[in-house]
Amino acid sequence: MSARVAVVVFPGTNSEDETLRALTAVGLDAEIVHWSRGAAGLRPFDAYVLPGGFSYEDRVRAGAVAAHDEAMDAVIAGAQAGKYVLGICNGAQTLLEAGLVPGTGPLRRPTAAFAPNASGKFQSLHVHVRLNVPPGRVPMLASLPPDCVIPAWASHGEGRLAATEAELDRMEREGHIAFVYCDARGADVPAPNGSARGAAALTNAAGNVLAIMPHPERAERAIYAPSGGIVFFAAFAAALAGAVAR
Amino acid sequence: MVDTDVEGLIAERGRIGVALTPDEIRAIVAHLGRLPTETELFAFDAQWSEHCSYKSSRHHLRKLPVDGPTVMQGPAEDAGIVHLGRWNGESYGVVIAHESHNHPSQVVPFEGAATGVGGIVRDVLCMGAEIIGLADPLRFGRLDDPHCRYVAQSVVDGIAAYGNAIGVPNLGGDVYIDESFDDNVLVNVVALGLVRESEIIHSRAPRDSIGYDIVLVGKATDRSGFGGASFSSLTLDDADAEANKGAVQVPDPFLKNVIIRASYRVFEELRRDGIVAGFKDLGAGGFAGCSAELCASGGVGAAVELDRVPTSQPDLPPAVVAIGETQERLCWIVPPTFTPRLLAIYNEEFSLPRISRGAAAAVVGKVVEGGRYHATYRGEVVMDVDLDFLTGGVRYNRPYTIALPNPPAEHPPYEGFRDTASALAALLAHRDVCSRRTIFQRYDGVVRGTTAIPPGYADAGVICPIPGAPLGVALAVAGNPRYGKLDPQLAAEHAVVEAVRNVVAVGARPLGLTDCLNFGDPTVPEHLGALVAAVDGLSYAARRLGTPFVSGNVSLYNQSKSGRTVAPSPIVACVGGIDDIAATATMAFKRAGAAIYTVGIPDVHLGGSVYAELLGIEGAMLPRLDYDDIERANAFVLVAFREGLIAAAHDVSDGGTLVALAKMAFATHDGSRIGVAMAPGARDGIVCDDAFAEATGFVIEVADEEAFALLAFTRDVVVERIATTTAAYDFTFADGSRAALDDLYEAWSAPLRDFYAPVRAPEAVQR
Repeated sequence: MSARVAVVVFPGTNSEDETLRALTAVGLDAEIVHWSRGAAGLRPFDAYVLPGGFSYEDRVRAGAVAAHDEAMDAVIAGAQAGKYVLGICNGAQTLLEAGLVPGTGPLRRPTAAFAPNASGKFQSLHVHVRLNVPPGRVPMLASLPPDCVIPAWASHGEGRLAATEAELDRMEREGHIAFVYCDARGADVPAPNGSARGAAALTNAAGNVLAIMPHPERAERAIYAPSGGIVFFAAFAAALAGAVAR
Repeated sequence: MVDTDVEGLIAERGRIGVALTPDEIRAIVAHLGRLPTETELFAFDAQWSEHCSYKSSRHHLRKLPVDGPTVMQGPAEDAGIVHLGRWNGESYGVVIAHESHNHPSQVVPFEGAATGVGGIVRDVLCMGAEIIGLADPLRFGRLDDPHCRYVAQSVVDGIAAYGNAIGVPNLGGDVYIDESFDDNVLVNVVALGLVRESEIIHSRAPRDSIGYDIVLVGKATDRSGFGGASFSSLTLDDADAEANKGAVQVPDPFLKNVIIRASYRVFEELRRDGIVAGFKDLGAGGFAGCSAELCASGGVGAAVELDRVPTSQPDLPPAVVAIGETQERLCWIVPPTFTPRLLAIYNEEFSLPRISRGAAAAVVGKVVEGGRYHATYRGEVVMDVDLDFLTGGVRYNRPYTIALPNPPAEHPPYEGFRDTASALAALLAHRDVCSRRTIFQRYDGVVRGTTAIPPGYADAGVICPIPGAPLGVALAVAGNPRYGKLDPQLAAEHAVVEAVRNVVAVGARPLGLTDCLNFGDPTVPEHLGALVAAVDGLSYAARRLGTPFVSGNVSLYNQSKSGRTVAPSPIVACVGGIDDIAATATMAFKRAGAAIYTVGIPDVHLGGSVYAELLGIEGAMLPRLDYDDIERANAFVLVAFREGLIAAAHDVSDGGTLVALAKMAFATHDGSRIGVAMAPGARDGIVCDDAFAEATGFVIEVADEEAFALLAFTRDVVVERIATTTAAYDFTFADGSRAALDDLYEAWSAPLRDFYAPVRAPEAVQR
């Protein structure tokens, strides 16, 4: 039986269509599920992908209100049960606000923040990110090669990882910083948004939840840049097939 | 208010806050046979405003060509539609709309610019289309003035806040800076949509729609935006700015995001059941204006109960409920059998009432026989007017004078630059040439995942709006205020030529044009004359290039009471179609050692050029336009793209040929560094300043030189090899001077890098 993936949409989400296309392009059985269907509507799914946007108008902090939406109860329960949960941009912010990444504190009591960019502004930039942990650390991407570089678009106003130095040290030590910003060849560059430790993505201890700020799904039609985002989703699909088979 | 006679009403009209003229009020009273109710008075004020009725310009706009094989729907409704192509047995159209939000953006820049985006996307949505792209032509005042900078920053923030939140990619636009915009900024906005030809929804009551429901959808009505239509048809004055703020609408992109998605669901249901409905956005004139126009175009009447309009404030007067311009609202006319499903989609599936207080879809009236608009509020009749009279507006054929430009053919001698390298560095740092990166990276250019070429990588933004299809859509804008000041007619021609060239430069066939005419007070013959001259120019260029205008907008009274009028600004957008996206290219140099060619016969007049301004050259002529040559060059470039002969193309505009080449070197995204060396003897230097003339055609990195030259020969197109790309990241000139491209990049990047430098806020806000 093939895995069923829910693309979880909140009021203000804006990237659900391209996220759905990226998932179906790698052969996944995915569908868009609106918040109005609630946690009950989400429970039957095998994995959850939270796309980008401005859920609930970014009130309080980006992702903060969506993290408390009743629909998130199903996503949190699924994450705790070991289901794969992927959050992109606003979805990543929501997972952090829900306490699922880095997952070092209580639920819905984040221990870090995706804070406003160093520029203080929303910025849309073509970037590259590099896998910063051994592929096996994040099972949903286990088939990526080590140090894999992925072109992506960073399009956000609040993507600068911020936490206490002790918490940042711990995140780094325990392999929570799953991707970092780099150049086209994979060399480190300063994070364009000022993110601590150059972090572009965070994962939890088990590695079944990934919160990535830049959008791997937006390289689909690009002729201006090498398309590499599909690698990301292909790895996700491969891992999901394996996980469901088990 | 009604306790007066017609002359009393005329005397009081300023206090009441209507812009109708004494003669217009007399005409209304004579038609009604009585004094208008307050609601009727404001309804006429909005419908007969310049903003809604084009009363001073319509007469002249008739000259524009609006037909052609690419036209699916001309400028009759909120937006025009051009044929894109077929995919999977369906014929697809691209919807294009173009508007201004100049006055609101001057007074309350963030909200004004944001609601400009909000309004234009509704115009596209109500054609039954998916909204697929945006672009913003912006004209700012001098940024060294704190208030001008505050306005510019806030305008960019407003556009970003709205467009990003609703999730529509911004495909480009342009920015010019000129002192004539110091106290009247221009904020134009262009939006694109995608629609299947068989599923276009019209902004009119459908045939045989008597008994259909009139359904209002969106934000709860409040006091915001009351009187916006007539406000935008008045002259701006700082003293009135505070009073005018109430006329600006309040944006809510979050709610709009949900309304757009819910509306797409409604489109699906209509398609599935083959139901014909009417759909129109609420803009100037509010609910009454919108529903009146829907019914008037369908030849039916309306019976409306204003009590049923969802409101968020108690005890709103009927005029505000009827005419107020609260944002994020749309109006449907649907058969009553469909109404329950329509309401369920907005109110339950997308739960509007739960995400914004009072927001909803609600039935507020019925389509009735006859041609009258009848509205009641709390048991009283507040409107009972003939629809054709209300929506027909008035027409003026005002006097105008066209000032003939009189530049001498020869300009006096002038002191040039030391060498070409220093000339180029100065050109790149000019306010109209330097990098706009700080601005355009504020906009999400890639949301929806359909973007092939985002802003900044080519002359036009390119998207592939149909998943899986090879069809591409290109969008570009043009309109040079330096030209507008010298010669409105020729400036308008140049705007058309450049907009078309911009889409050709990505290999796209020009499909259609839109214009926004930004001018001064039409009751001043010289200002109206500038508009008339510009329309003549647009019309002539569009006919010569065989590209029709499918929609447009006019914004008048762009001046302050101090008498300063904006540079005549005919701003043009061009939408292009690409049959196979694999054949397009960015403007970035692709490899070292490639030949660089110019295409077209260069025109070397320096009038209006950046170079002329830098050197203080007075009286030079604007570049002339040789349409036969332009048409041949455009057709040649399109064929060369199709045959894979072009690696990169860029049109030559502000700054001239060398600036164009430098920007091609800057446009790489993948870390590759490719320089350029001019051919010995190229006309690139201070000895011969041809390379600083603008509007001379294309520069092209050629992929196959032999085939390219042969194709040019067979098509009778003048091409000239002027340079070669190099492995060294340098720019080498024919006069022997040389510049490191890193230094040139810095010169180009620095001027607007600190666009967001803090302004002294208190001064800025209080002024």
